[in-house]
Amino acid sequence: MYDDISDELKPWVEMLQSSVLEDRLVAVKTLQHMGDEEAIAPLIQALEDEDTNIQKIAITAIWELTNPIAVKPLMACLRAPDGEVREEALSALKELIAPADLLMLLDAIQEDNFYMQLNVLILLRKIHDAQALPYVLPFFESEKEELREAAITTLRYLNQVETCPPALNLMDDPEVTVRRSTTLTLGYLRDEETVELLCEALTDDPDWQVRRNAAQSLVLHQDDSSIPWLGKALSDEHWQVRKFTARTLQEIADDSVIPALIKCLTDEYSDIRRDAAIALGNIGNPTVLNALQQTLDDPDADVRIFSQKASDKIREQQGVAS
Amino acid sequence: MALTNQRVDVPVIVDESKCLEKCHACIEVCPLDVLVKNPETGKAYMKYDECWFCLPCEKECPTNAITVQIPFLLR
Repeated sequence: MYDDISDELKPWVEMLQSSVLEDRLVAVKTLQHMGDEEAIAPLIQALEDEDTNIQKIAITAIWELTNPIAVKPLMACLRAPDGEVREEALSALKELIAPADLLMLLDAIQEDNFYMQLNVLILLRKIHDAQALPYVLPFFESEKEELREAAITTLRYLNQVETCPPALNLMDDPEVTVRRSTTLTLGYLRDEETVELLCEALTDDPDWQVRRNAAQSLVLHQDDSSIPWLGKALSDEHWQVRKFTARTLQEIADDSVIPALIKCLTDEYSDIRRDAAIALGNIGNPTVLNALQQTLDDPDADVRIFSQKASDKIREQQGVAS
Repeated sequence: MALTNQRVDVPVIVDESKCLEKCHACIEVCPLDVLVKNPETGKAYMKYDECWFCLPCEKECPTNAITVQIPFLLR
């Protein structure tokens, strides 16, 4: 069957056709260790073996050979019933897939198979091509939350996509995993309602990870209209929301959030005290110098260092101004 | 290297019921060459009591027949 194969490989390739499972396992493992490009065709054939262990080892062996002719056979493994086989094939394809494979991926995503659709949505993130957008959009309305989440995450990776009104609807999704991903994606979209939706999520969403992601996304927008909402989020019950809000306020802030930031200088978490001190330094209002002075004996060294830097920065600006 | 006297005390334990006679995967990947085949049974075992606990033998075994017992202080 494989006449042009070297004598060194031949016994193992023949053993791979054996009816005895143990022999096939030994053969596929040995071919993996040999790492010979000549073995790619028999290894591709081994992907159709009835045993999932052999399939997995064959996928790993093909992955190590990094030959682009294996992309199509590996794609077929994405719909395998065995979870470990699908996972291994997905990991291999993440490294092997190239922009030239886009059309093949777009064909595969239209297949009526949940696993194939989910895995192709993940692989599209490697290609970043906006041509994939019309194929991703229908999944926003999928009944399966995994597909909705994968689709909205993939949108974040597509270059040149700046507006996408259907994505905004997912901010009201009943599943938190979808909303968490949507808030991160909205950081990259420039639709008119985006900032408003993020501000609402920042203060009103019941899930703290959604609120934290909203704070993270708002830093990318740098929109002054979000400052009052950020000020409100500084008193959120979850420390991560307060921390990321303080970080966002390091980039966009005005005098209106100074009282809330000063309150954060006594937060129980040192990260928040530090980030609030940095934000106050960036605002540059000299009225906060007294408050910053009091954090110079903070138990956390980071807080003391950044508080001192913030004070120095404000004094420097004052000196320049006067 | 010291030869092993008690095969149950060594860090690399091979489940003989799973070990394949024709397979040499663990022997090939061991950087210290401490694993060998028992000529009588065709099963792998740890001949020399030296181990770096690097784990490729355990990972590469196609039947998951190998368990490396990592000492508590290295875990």
